[in-house]
Amino acid sequence: MTSLKALQESFQRGILAGDDAILSEVKDSAKERRNALFGVYRNAYVLRLAEVLGEDYEHLHAYLGDSSFARLAKSYIAAHPSDRPSVRDFGRHVPNFLKQDAGFAKHPELAEMASLEKALADAFDGPDAEPLGLAELALIAPEDWPRLVFKPHPTACGLVFRTNAADIWSALRDENAPPKAHVLPEPQAILIWRYDLMARFRPLGPEEAMMWDEAASGTRFGVLCETVATFAGEEGAELRAATYLKDWVDMGTLARCQVAR
Amino acid sequence: MGANKPPFLGFGLGLRPQHYAEILDGSPDVDWFEVISENYMVEGGQPLRILDQIRERYPVVMHGVSLSIASTSPLDMDYLARLKALAARVDPVWISDHLCWTGVHSVNLHDLLPIPYTQEALDHVVQRVTEVQDFLGRRLTLENVSSYVTFGQSEMSEWEFVGEVAARADCWLLFDVNNVYVSAYNHGFAADDFLIGVPRDRIVQFHVAGHSHEESHIIDTHDHPVCDKVWDLYRSAVAQFGPVSTMIERDDNIPPLADLVDELDHARGIAREVLGRQRLAAAE
Repeated sequence: MTSLKALQESFQRGILAGDDAILSEVKDSAKERRNALFGVYRNAYVLRLAEVLGEDYEHLHAYLGDSSFARLAKSYIAAHPSDRPSVRDFGRHVPNFLKQDAGFAKHPELAEMASLEKALADAFDGPDAEPLGLAELALIAPEDWPRLVFKPHPTACGLVFRTNAADIWSALRDENAPPKAHVLPEPQAILIWRYDLMARFRPLGPEEAMMWDEAASGTRFGVLCETVATFAGEEGAELRAATYLKDWVDMGTLARCQVAR
Repeated sequence: MGANKPPFLGFGLGLRPQHYAEILDGSPDVDWFEVISENYMVEGGQPLRILDQIRERYPVVMHGVSLSIASTSPLDMDYLARLKALAARVDPVWISDHLCWTGVHSVNLHDLLPIPYTQEALDHVVQRVTEVQDFLGRRLTLENVSSYVTFGQSEMSEWEFVGEVAARADCWLLFDVNNVYVSAYNHGFAADDFLIGVPRDRIVQFHVAGHSHEESHIIDTHDHPVCDKVWDLYRSAVAQFGPVSTMIERDDNIPPLADLVDELDHARGIAREVLGRQRLAAAE
């Protein structure tokens, strides 16, 4: 008798690789042949995972259309068998898959749209933290401000796009016709985070993006002001840095601040 | 064992995101909710916030789909640790999963795959249930699945297998009425044999659901209303097992909450008819 282990391996190969060896272990029913009955498992596997991808990458699906998205789903399912307990994680390699697939990689906005949808999903159920409030900042003594360091909200994540993928994605979300895809003159930084239970994103200008990266890596506020001054001129640098910081607090992208020793 | 049997919770629904607002804004006539464990094994955000709010108002049971209790691959201890952590947060009345496997060699096929009903499989499953129960510090509840194939090597009926697992591993059973109907149709056994064959003192929950009929076989799709034949089997199950916590299970093509509450009322009505108003009220 085939061992349980060998039987399960054969069953799995039957689903993943279309191997028919398992058919010698299962029986015809009174009403149907074994091939058709085992086919229920084969079909369900692909249908279920394609449906999951369609839900997780809803706007990419809308942009590609049903037949191209089905082609993507089919090749992705073949390349990446699920290895996590939750189907929520199944599609996590889609952005990289789109970058590496010769056909899809010709349209770089696809991988970027997918990375935005994935980042928003990750932010949606990422770790909880109370956002930093202006009241907490008001307690900081003026002489301590130069040594102030910030901790981003744990769901905050940065992406850099070469294309107008964010505009395409936004148009689809708003049920508008998407703009034609194009490569941007300069790369565009995008900040993704969750506030008030909703995942959000916002493009950042070059100076704000630079300051965000520095702040997120623990650079003190005094140094942040200096780097802003270096970036776009000393005049008004502190005000610009303070404005960015206030925007971040208003939007809930920061979780904590503390005075470094 | 009987003294520890979980209480009769009445008539419940699966918690689905489409209904979050309606449940929290109103007070639907639902006695308890079942949540899909994996959907809440996340770090934070809306899903856990909603779950906490539901838990404040209703009894909750946890229902998993990835335990893979019959797999010959090692138990996923990371998964079990997350399941245990979620249970510590939710304090569910019980934790259920399926008497099936979902993959081997770290692959998850996200399907409830059938087991050959052999002594080898029985010993294996009993050992695994015991390990999981030791780890979780509580009894598991295991559900019979719908299946589309049977194995030439099977040595016993499904109900004998299910009953033996429950007795030897000392776990509870979730009797899925639709799954019994589907498997009986697909494999040509009498659903009543299953009803009579499983130990009634082990059954703590019923699932009732819809399916898709393909003539030569039935697929367990949970995307239709419950059909009359499944209601008939539910009626027999209530007569056989007495008051058992009952849930309408809908996973796809999800209708407005009111439609599911109506289906749940239908289940209540059947239970009242079969058991009599007094016996049902006493159980509640």
